[in-house]
Amino acid sequence: MEPDAPKRPGKGAAIILTLFFQITVALFIYALLKAENAVVVALLLASLGASFWAVSRNPAALDQLAATLRQHRAMALTLTLLILLAVPLLVGSDVYILHLLILAQLYAVLALALNFQLGSANIPNFATSASYGIGAYASALLATGLGIGFWLAVPAAVLIATLLCLAVGLLAMRARDTHLALVTIAFAVVVHQLLNTLEWTGGANGLSGIPVPTLFGHSFADPLHALGIQLPSQANFYYLSAALLAVMILAARRLQASRVGLAWNAIRADEIAARAQGIDVTRYKVTAYLADAAFAALAGAIYAAYISYISPENFTFLLSVTIMTMVIVGGMDNIAGVLIGAFLITVLPEKLRLFSDYRLFIFAGIVIAFLLIRPQGLFPKRLRTYGAAA
Amino acid sequence: MNPLLQVEGVAMHFGGLVALDHLDLTVARGELVSIIGPNGSGKSTLFNVISGFYSATRGRVMLDGEDITRASAHRLRDKGIARTFQSSRLFLDLSVLDNIIIGMHTEKPPTVLGVLFRPANAGRELNDCARRAEALLGEGFGTLYEQRHRPAGTLAQADRRRLEIVRSIARGPKLLLLDEPSVGMAEAETQGFIDDIARLRVNFPDLAIALIEHDMRVVEAFADNVICIDQGRVIVRGDFSAVRKHALVQEAYLGKAAHADA
Repeated sequence: MEPDAPKRPGKGAAIILTLFFQITVALFIYALLKAENAVVVALLLASLGASFWAVSRNPAALDQLAATLRQHRAMALTLTLLILLAVPLLVGSDVYILHLLILAQLYAVLALALNFQLGSANIPNFATSASYGIGAYASALLATGLGIGFWLAVPAAVLIATLLCLAVGLLAMRARDTHLALVTIAFAVVVHQLLNTLEWTGGANGLSGIPVPTLFGHSFADPLHALGIQLPSQANFYYLSAALLAVMILAARRLQASRVGLAWNAIRADEIAARAQGIDVTRYKVTAYLADAAFAALAGAIYAAYISYISPENFTFLLSVTIMTMVIVGGMDNIAGVLIGAFLITVLPEKLRLFSDYRLFIFAGIVIAFLLIRPQGLFPKRLRTYGAAA
Repeated sequence: MNPLLQVEGVAMHFGGLVALDHLDLTVARGELVSIIGPNGSGKSTLFNVISGFYSATRGRVMLDGEDITRASAHRLRDKGIARTFQSSRLFLDLSVLDNIIIGMHTEKPPTVLGVLFRPANAGRELNDCARRAEALLGEGFGTLYEQRHRPAGTLAQADRRRLEIVRSIARGPKLLLLDEPSVGMAEAETQGFIDDIARLRVNFPDLAIALIEHDMRVVEAFADNVICIDQGRVIVRGDFSAVRKHALVQEAYLGKAAHADA
């Protein structure tokens, strides 16, 4: 008996469905980014809520859509890539949208990196802000203090952050559940306090004048010329963060589908049973932490170069909680879910500024509503399939 | 030749509580030992010491002539000691196949860098594990093969027990510790379990099995080698009819009953 395969539409219908779905999603995102009026934002959110509610009522439809997308993966990927490449063209002079998208992409990297721990292995790490901040500060200090170029400072910063987190992880990852959460909270707070008080990190004033990267003589502060079209200078960092996100997604997919991902899932389900299967639990928890820390530091280094001024206020405990919310709302251990969670939770607070004083209230309401409609996250984790069942 | 497992004078104290008190035990290759004893006599503690979940207060444990008293649980699984738990501990949200594949973890433990930079290799290893897990299920074990793509949490109780055993033998251990595997099973299921174990002994003649068991039907099915533990010591070893009649065994069980009546 094979597992129930969803009924698949015919080839032509499948292609149209794939295109229709992707274009709808792209239009929705575009409309949300462009929306400048409270009624439009409310309508868009209501339609999003309604579609997820509909999916909850009919989970088979979601499986069918996923199967269709997988069937036409090459086409779907190409179209996504084209749309993403064209974004700086489409937004025109509205560079604020590019700014939001850069943040959303960097936060998506943080959320996917945290997902190795929180989603795959159930490690409640509240210290994303610490590894992100260490990456940002290390690259900024290397660049401003020692005059090391961006492309060398970034890997160096990743190495520094990873080694620091290794030291913390070797101690912290012996703990479990609430104790582990407490240790990571302490780490996040300590890093924030250190950045605030140390002299060589600029204290509360932070670091300014972080040099802009250049690539093959092209400065990222200059407008980007491509195909005879001039794109705003933000397009440089948009493409850079998009490239980082692409690498992150690839890494996340590989790890999730691998025996490492299985070992993490075993730890998530039952640590004692995992040990009985020969899994060195501490080692695999530390590994999940290091994979997280390396990518978070990478995102931090790019963020510092993009924003050119960083201060401890960019790396507070609240950021860690926000990234966690992205993973939980989007769907633990589901890459597409985490991406959507990261996008919504980056963009929504900005769009809710239209509601001025009620902004945070409405934002909290939306997060709670989504968790009520989809308690397992917008897209819950999926069972693995092998060979015949795929 | 050394016996496969030698437990020599092992004591396990938890504060003032003596769970094991100078316990000696040997298990030979391919042997099946049934361990009986009243509740609280130290049977599960013994398994936890052998499998590395507890570290003995005194005495030593030898596997194949190697001192493993202080070895950790995950290392001992690699050395060939696999176990199940009194209440089944499956990875409930993962499929049956995934549970078995995780049981193969110790053959070439995967690394993050290996997965990231040699994805084709990692994928081949995983698919190879999946194929072997399917082949293992194909050797029997009720309808687990048909249910292999379902989450373990959707299995019936008896199938969960079965899956725990399959997961334990996925890496070909030398010693399998089964902690009350038939608890909560209906009569037909218990018979199915006895058949599973009998088939396991044929298919893996070198595999030694230690079985903590309260169900006397199971003990009688494997009656030639029974150990009774009481108050953290082995009080008698022999075939079932002899063990049952032994004065100390009678006292251990009746004493318990008299105590419970009081």
